[in-house]
Amino acid sequence: MNAGMPRPQPSRWIIVLVCVLALTSCRKEPETWSASEEHPWASGGSQTVFDAGAGAFSHGFPQMSATADILHGIGDLQFEQTFVSAPAPVNPGLGPVFNSVSCTSCHIGDGRGKPPTAGEQPISMLFRLSVPGTDAFGGPAPAPGFGGQLQPRAIFGARPEAEVTLAWSEETVTLPDGEVVHLRMPHVSFNNPYTALPAGMLWSARVAPPVFGLGLLEAIAASDIRMKADEGDVNDDGISGKVNEVWDRVQHRTAVGRFGWKAEQPTLLQQSAAAYNEDMGVTNPLFMLESTHGQPQYDGLNDDGELTDSVLHAVAFYVRTLAVPARRNTDDPQVVRGEELFSAAKCDRCHTPEQHTAVNVAFPPVSNQRISPYSDLLLHDMGAALSDNRPTFRAEGTEWRTPPLWGIGLTQVVNGHQNFLHDGRARSLLEAVLWHGGEAQESANAVRSMTTAERQALLAFLGSL
Amino acid sequence: MKRSLFLLSSLLLLVACKKESAEPTTPTPEGFTTADVLNDFANHVAQDNYRDLAALSSGLQERIVAFGTSLSDADLTLCKQQWRDTRLSWERSEALLFGPVATENIDPRIDTWPVNFVDLEAQLSSGNLFTPAYITSLEDALKGFHPIEYLLFGANGDKTAAQFTTREIEYITALAADLVNLTGSLDQRWDPATANNYTTAFTTAGSGSTEYPTQRAAFEELVNAMAGICDEVANGKMGEVLLAQDPSMEESPFAKNSIIDFTNNIRGVENVYLGRYDADGNGMENFVRQHDLLLDNMIKQQLASSIIALGTITVPFGQAIIEQPVQVQQAIDAINLLATTLNDELMPLVQQHID
Repeated sequence: MNAGMPRPQPSRWIIVLVCVLALTSCRKEPETWSASEEHPWASGGSQTVFDAGAGAFSHGFPQMSATADILHGIGDLQFEQTFVSAPAPVNPGLGPVFNSVSCTSCHIGDGRGKPPTAGEQPISMLFRLSVPGTDAFGGPAPAPGFGGQLQPRAIFGARPEAEVTLAWSEETVTLPDGEVVHLRMPHVSFNNPYTALPAGMLWSARVAPPVFGLGLLEAIAASDIRMKADEGDVNDDGISGKVNEVWDRVQHRTAVGRFGWKAEQPTLLQQSAAAYNEDMGVTNPLFMLESTHGQPQYDGLNDDGELTDSVLHAVAFYVRTLAVPARRNTDDPQVVRGEELFSAAKCDRCHTPEQHTAVNVAFPPVSNQRISPYSDLLLHDMGAALSDNRPTFRAEGTEWRTPPLWGIGLTQVVNGHQNFLHDGRARSLLEAVLWHGGEAQESANAVRSMTTAERQALLAFLGSL
Repeated sequence: MKRSLFLLSSLLLLVACKKESAEPTTPTPEGFTTADVLNDFANHVAQDNYRDLAALSSGLQERIVAFGTSLSDADLTLCKQQWRDTRLSWERSEALLFGPVATENIDPRIDTWPVNFVDLEAQLSSGNLFTPAYITSLEDALKGFHPIEYLLFGANGDKTAAQFTTREIEYITALAADLVNLTGSLDQRWDPATANNYTTAFTTAGSGSTEYPTQRAAFEELVNAMAGICDEVANGKMGEVLLAQDPSMEESPFAKNSIIDFTNNIRGVENVYLGRYDADGNGMENFVRQHDLLLDNMIKQQLASSIIALGTITVPFGQAIIEQPVQVQQAIDAINLLATTLNDELMPLVQQHID
């Protein structure tokens, strides 16, 4: 037994000292952050992912609990499920008329849809229909016999509501620097309808928008969105910005519209439920009536809702928790120059670079994030050339919600095309810019009169988003 | 002893600040470049896989046409075998679910599950002419591999030639022609002779490719695709069905081919990793071995154990979720482990070393 205290050995202290020194000698001082410069690539705040490939839009939030991850996975599988005619052991309830058989067949890779090519029927694009007037909630009045949108496909025994023919006419624009751009204009006709089209019917073409990052947009406080609105253009900058007030089917009251090309949906739950109902003909807890209810092709089956509450919520959760891909090449001088030009041309007045999500103790993954959606979620007058002449709640024909630009540079790799705007008429980012009119006319003019190098820088910046 | 400790700590102090030595630039000591890996992937793995798929689909069409004439059980058996062979090629290609197969919406038209049985039966009892244009206009759940499988093998997998109706022969013949069209267009979209082909997207990665502005982006695509199909197999195709304990959710139930499908998905991952299809080329493997032999070893081991774990399931998958849940779960775990390694080990390695 050793009764005495062990004598401290000086050599041992030295070893410890050296080890500490070795561990700390390379530590850098933490860099100081300034609010405007922090993480220009982190478009989705802490829910940003690093993938610039085909799967860029399909990642779950990197920062959430394991339980939330599992729920996201369940929703992911449901998002891919194909629906079939009832009765069936798996996924019954399709139709009788529909646009698509699954969520993913329009939102391919959780990304952007496109108009059909010659001879094709639209797959990832649909047509909203209405007649003048409003429904009980202030929304568009459904077209008799057709409802709120055209379903050009049908299960066996039912007839497609109509066939869509899409023709294009082209206009050539020569910019001051000599660059020639061809703008194409869609001409739509509905042929072979199953019943007469109502007189004075209004329609609006919509490609499927990307579905990532939406949980973060949903987490922006309604008051923040309202604060950015300037309906009467009080600050006299030529840009107004208007909140769409739409019907919330869960809360039974009007709410700020955030989603869809006209900001016609208030929440992701309702957006998902409406898509199941209208696009696939699948009834669910928010839409218990078939899209064909009251029409000659109503199936009369006593099988509604065809989708369970839990599946609907899982799909909404999946969409809510899709992460935002990081920007690329943020310190490339051309990209940096492009960002300055974006701001100089006042594009950033509506395509707001920076937003903040509200504090949300109930769902921390979206709480208190600085995000860069490049959208103010407000309606703006985009001019007559883009007008669909179809009012949607407070949105007039010429008014469209500023679509977020995050991830837009990855459209080619994810979706294999560069078709932009609500009807996919633009075939490049430059064409999309040149279509801007109304409040954005001044910005479009600024881009027109840029030098070639400047315009390339602007496009390089957009490509980095 | 003390002296060696001193020595050790001094050494530690000396190396602590050493930076990574500069990466060897092309060509590497092993005589391959990262561009070679992308070249060999596109020119051998992807192109050969899609060429095989197109050729096997044509073979399936020929056999179905022959069976339609002879209506013999011998020809039916040949059709069934050809369906399995074609399916093998398709399942291997599922390790590359990016590019034309996704963007041109070919995947759902070839491989949608479940089959829309109600409409399929209605089509058969209708008088509709199954012209190519009519088949093209049909919804996805009425065409592709699974309706063909259902018609060839029957609901219980034991269909005989005598059970075929004329309408079934007409329909299946038209479906086979549609499959040939779709797989043919996939093959064509990867053919370097076609304008805007996807092979060039890879071979020009980092030097003009519209899809892949950097080589790193192309490598990331491959890693994501490999990890993606592992996740799909483990948690979608297997996990969901096991959890629901519902055999009716099984994919490929009529041919009882699901376990073979899953195995070929993993074989597809292996092809991408090794850069191998018919011939062995430069693969992701070469790159990994250059930087982390241990990781290379681990990935190969996990590929092997995934395939072995699937091999321990001895009954058709729909039955296995009830009778052999332990084996099914073990296979799920093995494949999930592989997915984790690809996501958490291989991806950072790619991001660290490839620009």
